[in-house]
Amino acid sequence: MEDFLITTAKVLFIFGLNMGVFAPLLTWVERKQSALMQDRIGANRADILGFSMIGLFHPIADAIKMLAKEDFIPEGANKIMHTLSPIICVVPALLTFAVIPFGGEYVIGGKHIKLVIADLDVGLIFIFAISSLATYGTVIAGWSSNNNWSLLGSLRASAQMISYEVAMGFTLVGVFMVYGSLQLTQIGAAQESFFRWGIFLQPLGFFMFLACAIAENKRAPFDVAEGESEIIAGYFLEYSGLKFGMFYMAEFLEIVTISAMVTTLFFGAWHIPFISSALILSMLSFLNETLANIILMLIHISVFWVKVIFFIWFQMTIRWTLPRFRYDQIMKLGWKILLPLSLANILVTGIVILILQ
Amino acid sequence: MIVNRNITMTWWERIYLPEIFRGISVTSNHFFRNLIGFIPALLNKDKKRKIFTLYYPDEKVEFPPAYRGRPVLVVDENGTERCVACGLCEIVCPAKCIEIQPDETELEKERYPKSFSINMARCIFCGFCEEVCPKEAIVMSDECEIADLDRNKMFYKKDQLLISKNKLQKRLNYIKEIYGKWNY
Repeated sequence: MEDFLITTAKVLFIFGLNMGVFAPLLTWVERKQSALMQDRIGANRADILGFSMIGLFHPIADAIKMLAKEDFIPEGANKIMHTLSPIICVVPALLTFAVIPFGGEYVIGGKHIKLVIADLDVGLIFIFAISSLATYGTVIAGWSSNNNWSLLGSLRASAQMISYEVAMGFTLVGVFMVYGSLQLTQIGAAQESFFRWGIFLQPLGFFMFLACAIAENKRAPFDVAEGESEIIAGYFLEYSGLKFGMFYMAEFLEIVTISAMVTTLFFGAWHIPFISSALILSMLSFLNETLANIILMLIHISVFWVKVIFFIWFQMTIRWTLPRFRYDQIMKLGWKILLPLSLANILVTGIVILILQ
Repeated sequence: MIVNRNITMTWWERIYLPEIFRGISVTSNHFFRNLIGFIPALLNKDKKRKIFTLYYPDEKVEFPPAYRGRPVLVVDENGTERCVACGLCEIVCPAKCIEIQPDETELEKERYPKSFSINMARCIFCGFCEEVCPKEAIVMSDECEIADLDRNKMFYKKDQLLISKNKLQKRLNYIKEIYGKWNY
């Protein structure tokens, strides 16, 4: 019973944080950040009783607008598939968070609590399996809309996502060779000391993983699948109302997922540089064990989310800095550069591990 | 289709990553400058503002005296307009938007405009009326938010055109300076 309650609390925390904070807030963040980067002002007109709160009410206005819109299904579209595909896009983005740890292991009331919903032995492989499901969402969305532009968009999306999935898998092989585990909690725990962070052990892996992950998410500079200027909106062209919103939600949740994965794998997960958990616990030794552990847990959770927010900012910056790649350049980068480089990365990592043994 | 644009890139540019970071540093530089720069603007302490984007409807620009907004009639300290209804501005106006009906008065200036109207839908803001006026009676103000959906409302009557001298002092000084060579 106790375990059930704890798990429910974790699920509610992750679900609430993603759907209640990140998904709506990131629409605002994207508009406001792009505005600031381009010396504009950005969304600031929506107000409640004259308080505009630097545009923070715009997500609410957007939600009301989307709910009030007509839910349009085009003639000749496959109705079931058309309705299903936004769901297929959103669910994987949420589901990957099940294995990402947002804190370490704490002793509270004599009970060991791990801050991860499902501590799978094959955590990383689970993430790959689930995130590649999102490809189906885009393909079905484009195909079921009965629209040429949508089909073109989904063709581009599927080709791009499948090619980058290969490179993405290989970039992370180096990470679990170094840490010797596929379990994300163990990878996180192994990065306790600052110089054991993934960015120092796998610097090339980090850049390649970030490039592949952004390509998987189909955001600029890899947004040919969406291609506003060429194929209007690509695969979700024929969607309106809340279904259209779900595609955007999926995109924003994917940003959070990528940031969380980068944090867990390369940037020390929940650890603070040079300050170990034991040090914090010894500083809090005047409290009893449970209370000290709760404070430590809160510190670790906030450190983890601060890192995640930094990477969200970083991804947004990349999205509003770089122009779109040409289609052949995307394929060239994926197959001719990232794939051989990731294979070379595995080789070099293996040689170094052999030498150090 | 691959277009060969004959661009030769150096090795440093071809490895792509450093150039990405250069781009990101430029954009994030703007981001942080604007992120912090809007705070003094909101607190109205923008004596030396770092950002140049104005929060327009909330924040207004102070135009330089050379700015030509809508033409207005200057009202002197004694409460009457300076205009003597000579009709020079009416004649010089290239858009023919000024219409004056003169009349006699007991005051020292002997003549005054009984009605003075400017059709702002036709005005081209050239400033000829101001330049030709012998009394410095009609000047260009700094008002520019005069758009309207109704054409009849663009037909400005005399009472809409009268503005006291104190508000126009900057422009009056300025036109004395630029049209001073005529010695009027």
